Amino acid sequence: MISALLYLQYHTFRNRLVSRFRRLKQPKYLIGAIVGGFYFYFYFFRYLFHGIGGRQPVNLAVSPEHRLLFESLGALVLFVIVLLAWLIPHERAALTFTEAEVAFLFPAPITRRTLIHFKLLRSQLGIFFSSLFLTLISRRFGGNVWIHALGWWLILSTLNLHFLGCSFARTMLLDHGVSNRLRRLLVFGLAAAMAGSVWVWAKRTLPELGSADTANLNAILDYAQRVLTAGPALYLLYPFRLVVRPFLAPGAAAFFGALAPALLLFLLHYVWVVYSDVAFEEASVEASQKLAVRIAAARAGNWQGAKKNQKAKRPWFRLAATGPSATALLWKNLIGVGQAFSPRLWFSLIVVVVVAVGVGMGNAGRGQSLLFLMALLIAIALGYSLLLGPQLLRLDFRQDLPLADLLKTFPLRGWQIALGEILAPVVVLAAFQWLLLVFGAALVFYLPGRQTALLLAIALGAAVLLPVLDVLLLLIPNAAVLLFPSWIQTGKDSPRGIEATGQRLIFALGQLLVLALALLPAAITFVGVFFLLKLALGYAAAVPFAALVAAIILAVEAGFGVMLLGRLFERFDVSEEHTN
Amino acid sequence: MVQVEGLTKLYGEFVAVNELSFSIHPGEVMGLVGPNGAGKTTTLRCLAGIIPPTRGVVRVGGHDIVRDAIAAKKQLAFFTDEPRLFDYLTVWQHLNFVARIYQVPDYERIGAGLLEELEIANKKDALPGELSRGMKQKLAIACGLLHSPRVIYFDEPLTGLDPIGIRRMKDSILKRARDGAAIIISSHLLHLVEEICSRILILKNGRKIIDGTLEEITRKFSEQPGDANLEEIFFRATSETDAPAPAVPPLLPR
Repeated sequence: MISALLYLQYHTFRNRLVSRFRRLKQPKYLIGAIVGGFYFYFYFFRYLFHGIGGRQPVNLAVSPEHRLLFESLGALVLFVIVLLAWLIPHERAALTFTEAEVAFLFPAPITRRTLIHFKLLRSQLGIFFSSLFLTLISRRFGGNVWIHALGWWLILSTLNLHFLGCSFARTMLLDHGVSNRLRRLLVFGLAAAMAGSVWVWAKRTLPELGSADTANLNAILDYAQRVLTAGPALYLLYPFRLVVRPFLAPGAAAFFGALAPALLLFLLHYVWVVYSDVAFEEASVEASQKLAVRIAAARAGNWQGAKKNQKAKRPWFRLAATGPSATALLWKNLIGVGQAFSPRLWFSLIVVVVVAVGVGMGNAGRGQSLLFLMALLIAIALGYSLLLGPQLLRLDFRQDLPLADLLKTFPLRGWQIALGEILAPVVVLAAFQWLLLVFGAALVFYLPGRQTALLLAIALGAAVLLPVLDVLLLLIPNAAVLLFPSWIQTGKDSPRGIEATGQRLIFALGQLLVLALALLPAAITFVGVFFLLKLALGYAAAVPFAALVAAIILAVEAGFGVMLLGRLFERFDVSEEHTN
Repeated sequence: MVQVEGLTKLYGEFVAVNELSFSIHPGEVMGLVGPNGAGKTTTLRCLAGIIPPTRGVVRVGGHDIVRDAIAAKKQLAFFTDEPRLFDYLTVWQHLNFVARIYQVPDYERIGAGLLEELEIANKKDALPGELSRGMKQKLAIACGLLHSPRVIYFDEPLTGLDPIGIRRMKDSILKRARDGAAIIISSHLLHLVEEICSRILILKNGRKIIDGTLEEITRKFSEQPGDANLEEIFFRATSETDAPAPAVPPLLPR
């Protein structure tokens, strides 16, 4: 029976590969593959073949002490991952099959164990490519290629088995009346007891970190090493160390020495999974249906529909029945933005801010250094908002293109639809940037030196410039999606791999070029006005005035851009969108 | 209400619609039928201004769908076989959105009435993802009817509806026609077309085979009066017609 499943797996893989090669006949994939190939070669592959013309990899020359530390840290990361696998999920065990697999395999005379084997076999393909990719990255920091590749494979395969076994165990606990809440309490209690024992041991045995030490990374690492490599942590993390050890082996002998216990652990996991007699079929059918819906939505470029749990969101403002029609699209897309800002995202953002501020405080000490650091963080966030904001906020044509036929039935001119479509990301980005600028401006008053007026002038100039810059930045990808709809990555089924990476690179370079051209007139004007006004009014007055003039030029360009985008949408032939 | 003159749509060398001409008047319900690939959906998309015709003129309420698109589109509604909805807007938010697009001041009254009529008033705050296929179809219909269109196109209107929904849909179509709307229905369900359409247009390979009332086309394709129903006529019409692969008509400027 397993041979039939192997046949299915082999031919699925082979046919996918063949169709990928076949589509290289199309220039868009061929060019993408060439560019992507160069990218992967220069950033990854040449480190694999450094003896034949490539560059030597960065050598971190890991000492035995450092290796022990890295092993401990790696084990700690694995421990946290495993802990989360026992804590967070609440579903019953479900092996993810495609709908076709469910339709063919579930009614077939195949044992549950065979299905598990099929699932394990299939996951090996993903693990193989993940191991390869991770090896390309980790190899840049030195070490042997094969040790890295096999090390990654062992880590990922063991984790994969553990996740599967864990889901079976959770289901068995549910079947025996142990609720998710009780299980989480027990696991959390156990983890707390482990952490507590390590903390008590460290408190009693090791000297405390002084305030000067907290600013010293080496001192912190040294302390972490002593905590993790002795006392209870040494034993608690021992199984996890076994999994990480082969990857960190300095040579073949050490690798094979570390391989036996790691393989034993792997085999134990395998036995655990294969001999768990848990009914996963019903939950699997449900999971495959959900997966099919998400894939169908993602294939249609509908990422909102592809998300797991959507909830109705309140509109950001009341939409009257009459007034400019483009406002309706802004109103609609802002509701969509609300979908993107889930509680989980807010939580992540808060964690990032807290960690950033915490690290900053730790390294900068007290007083003025912290203010400088916060100002620096604001400047960096502003820069990233321009770079990443237009890529992340895609509630415009990139989101609505699958519904282009619906948009085209609206009694609106092309420019009205274009304006309405890009307004929502502009509003969100500009609001975020202004918020940062307000914080930055408030900080200025507490910074030392006599540059307060100039810094405030820069903030004011930025406040004027940023919204029009946002419009320009959003116009480019929106125009690209209308000009080259089949090139833009709109869903999970869109091209993946080297050719897709190449396509993205070509687009990123194209966008950069168009942006540079668009900014040139405004930049020249800014410089001219600034130097003229600086002589008469001084730096502080020259900056906002020059920014205002530059913003007017950018706004005119943006206006033309919106008209052009509208014209592109009017000419966009929905029936030919997939034939380009 | 809808005038079509020499409508042609080419995809490269492929002729999807070939020199199609017809007109329909207020209160008429026209059935657009034909085998798969006949060009029904392409025709409807051209008539709705979703895709530009390669050649020919389409007028909706006297307005050219290409040159005076806004005025033409204000008068029409197009219902696709697959309801096209925004995943993150609730049922009521859809109506609010459409009201602003079409500038419908009293949309709250009309919208509430439509939701009642279509029996989805209790789903006002639900997202499309929480609705069944039929309910999604009903929501799309509510959105389309909110601005009281004078021209309505349906592409397979009964897909996904239950028997009660089918009956209500038929009644609704006939009611709109009685109120003066011009309606075009594209469907493979010949019994539906036979039941509610006052005129029928049969397409094959993008060409019009026949256009007329059921009586007229029956007369043409029957050996003796009353010997055939629409299904029989459809088979005769589409098989009798020597419909060669359409030649590419010469490209002329519009």
